[in-house]
Amino acid sequence: MVNVLIDGLKERISNAIKINQSIGIILPASNYPDLVQALFERINSTPEEAWVYVTVTKPCDNILSQFEFLKDSKNIKFVDCISRAAGINKANDNCIFVESPTMLEKIGLEIINIFKEVDENVKKYLVIDSLTNLIIYNDPDIVTEFFYHIINRTRTKNIHTISLAIEEEELDKYLTRLIYLNDKILKVRDSFI
Amino acid sequence: MPITELSKNELCDTGIEELDVMLGGGIPTGSTVLVVGSSGSGKTTLCMQYLINGAKKGERGVFFTITEPLFKLTKNMEGFEFYDKKLIESGMVNLIDLRIISERLGLDTEKYTVEDASALLDILRDIADELNVKRLVIDSITALCYRLQTPEMIRDFIFKLGSSLAAMKCTTLLTSEVPPRKFQYSQYGIEEFISDGIMFLGDIERKGDLIRTFQLVKMRGAAHSRTKSAMSISTKNGVELAPLLKSRE
Ligand SMILES: Nc1ncnc2c1ncn2[C@@H]1O[C@H](COP(=O)(O)OP(=O)(O)O)[C@@H](O)[C@H]1O
Ligand SMILES: [Mg+2]
Repeated sequence: MVNVLIDGLKERISNAIKINQSIGIILPASNYPDLVQALFERINSTPEEAWVYVTVTKPCDNILSQFEFLKDSKNIKFVDCISRAAGINKANDNCIFVESPTMLEKIGLEIINIFKEVDENVKKYLVIDSLTNLIIYNDPDIVTEFFYHIINRTRTKNIHTISLAIEEEELDKYLTRLIYLNDKILKVRDSFI
Repeated sequence: MPITELSKNELCDTGIEELDVMLGGGIPTGSTVLVVGSSGSGKTTLCMQYLINGAKKGERGVFFTITEPLFKLTKNMEGFEFYDKKLIESGMVNLIDLRIISERLGLDTEKYTVEDASALLDILRDIADELNVKRLVIDSITALCYRLQTPEMIRDFIFKLGSSLAAMKCTTLLTSEVPPRKFQYSQYGIEEFISDGIMFLGDIERKGDLIRTFQLVKMRGAAHSRTKSAMSISTKNGVELAPLLKSRE
């Protein structure tokens, strides 16, 4: 049953990102584990692509121990914005640490720096996990400005962007404003999969 | 002279991409620029990066340290990927402890007389000349000024040093240590008026975190931007700048 869910998600994401430069995925918190699993499986199945995964949700180390197959992946680099703030100091070759999720400019710099080292012909993807958490740590206005910059910069560099927005009632109006900066929006509902 | 009239070889590029863009290509060659900031703001790192970047394209440089002994300086810098030891070993970047020079000159290490200052100035000029350096750093001018005792001596020293180095087409960065969160560019209030440029490394508070900032306050001979940027210091790239997000700081 779970596999069906995840396969369905994988297919929806793959199809959407094929034809859109940027997609926003709105999902209830209960679907978050399935969604990231689908994403990581998708990433792992396409070693010829280059992915940057910005995590504001879980420390990179936790992600790697949960999805062990990512440990040897050469096509994914993490920008971990929460480990340092949480006092976790484990170093990792596949991960760049930003001291705090408030250091948005630095997050932006690191994303672009990683992609600079990727060959021009390689397909490039960026995941932001998640807009919700960026808003929790920052003023919503500055996140909008940040996201607007990111969407524009990645577009000029032909980088596809997938941003996650975990539904949160109090943040709904900010999330809506942000998510609509994307070319395409996917709403994940149990019933849709 | 507007920057557009300066040809490329009259500009000394820092090699820090966004900064060079801000400068319209680079620092006008021969300038004396104050790099201002509180402790830990990135002055030493930025200056070293400037020297290393110059050395990588064949411009020799010299770094005079007063605040930190050499072993400490090199140990800190070795943490950065831009720091290429070979450039030090080959003499493209020369690291010199000014306190050791003062000692050898027999100067009082705490206080300089007018004669001491003049002797030190001669030595600095000789070293710059002999090594034919195009980039020079003094880290920090604050520590040097402290030993110079009077405003006249400070003015005289920086002015004479700046003029001789300008004549050698050597571009100079002087670091200036200021207390945190003060809108002050130098400890003695003189350094900033004699210098051709001021770079200010500061910070802003955002949700309880300090975001590093960079501002080009002044640069004679350049139509530069004065916009505040965000500054990042990373092991991989050293100092980097990015547009500062402005919404409600
Ligand atoms: N290897 C490194 N990687 C990333 N950041 C570093 C590294 N070494 C030092 N830093 C950061 O740079 C700052 C020090 O900068 P520094 O140039 O010594 O400042 P200043 O000369 O103004 O006192 C430190 O506060 C530290 O946060
Ligand atoms: Mg220093």
